[in-house]
Amino acid sequence: MKKILLLSLFLSSTALQAAHHGTHDMADMDSMGDMHSHEGHIHEQMVDGKELAVDPQRFDQFMIGIESNAVAVVSVQGMVCDFCARGIEKTFGKDKRVSKIDVDLASGKVLLAFPVAADIDKADIEKKILNNGLNTSTIQIVGR
Amino acid sequence: MKTAFIILCLLVATHSMGRPISYVGGHTIMANSGPQSDGVYWHYTPNINYSLGLDYQRDKISDESFSSARLTYLINRKNTAKSQRNLYLKTGVGLNDSDNHFYALTGDWETRRVFAGFSATQTSGIGYDMFEQTLKVGIAPYLGAYGDFHTWLMVETKKNDMDDDRITYPVLRFFKGGALMEVGYHKKTDWNLHLMYRF
Repeated sequence: MKKILLLSLFLSSTALQAAHHGTHDMADMDSMGDMHSHEGHIHEQMVDGKELAVDPQRFDQFMIGIESNAVAVVSVQGMVCDFCARGIEKTFGKDKRVSKIDVDLASGKVLLAFPVAADIDKADIEKKILNNGLNTSTIQIVGR
Repeated sequence: MKTAFIILCLLVATHSMGRPISYVGGHTIMANSGPQSDGVYWHYTPNINYSLGLDYQRDKISDESFSSARLTYLINRKNTAKSQRNLYLKTGVGLNDSDNHFYALTGDWETRRVFAGFSATQTSGIGYDMFEQTLKVGIAPYLGAYGDFHTWLMVETKKNDMDDDRITYPVLRFFKGGALMEVGYHKKTDWNLHLMYRF
């Protein structure tokens, strides 16, 4: 009985793994050729080699129309309400180097798009976040 | 005595609202309306550690008005991935008579789901003093994204040593983008409305 149970568990886990790989391959094919949120692409473009924790659908939506831009993914601490989000949007909205902003309260992530020619100054981003009374835990640059 | 009490109440009318410091360069306008007084409070944040403001209150019964200058200083802030905790020192002084003044210690802790805040305020006029304590807790029944309409269900309790009577009442807080509205009701104090806009 025990062996049958173990065998069924093994078979079902193998089937699940195979299904996951199938989805993975299809997504890889869909996202060829441009900066996209799928793991296989986004990881290639990370400069620090770390895994990027950002909602893929949200990232894709953000990249529409700015495919050639580099993106700073900023993890922010203390961002708990719309007032915080609004302050960040206003602060970075005044920065002419920033072409698009997205604030996600749920994940505590801020996406900042920069044209390829623009400098991305991490210290300046941290300072601007601090001027909103918040702290930066990590900044990851994607697409450069 | 009555005039002194009115001035003391007007002096602390808007300071119990949350978020007394904005982002650097940010302005905040608040308005309050209740059975006793109507008022407007504006503050500006030149530095993330403090804000400066002006307050104007008008007593509805006596038709007296009272204006004050205010300073809020951030003593301590702790940000985590899911929460923010603040401790502030607030002070205000009457523009017509500096003998009317207050100082307060206030604090709050907030996540996207839960809020808790307190204030302890010492208010002084000519020959009169009042000490008031407030406590406010709240919960967000649902979590909205940035830009959505947010709702908070809150309870506030306050007590001062002049009438030595604690009142506890429900407060509804709504906000969207830079605008916030709070409505509270107690049978003794009737309806209270607070509006806030940050820009």
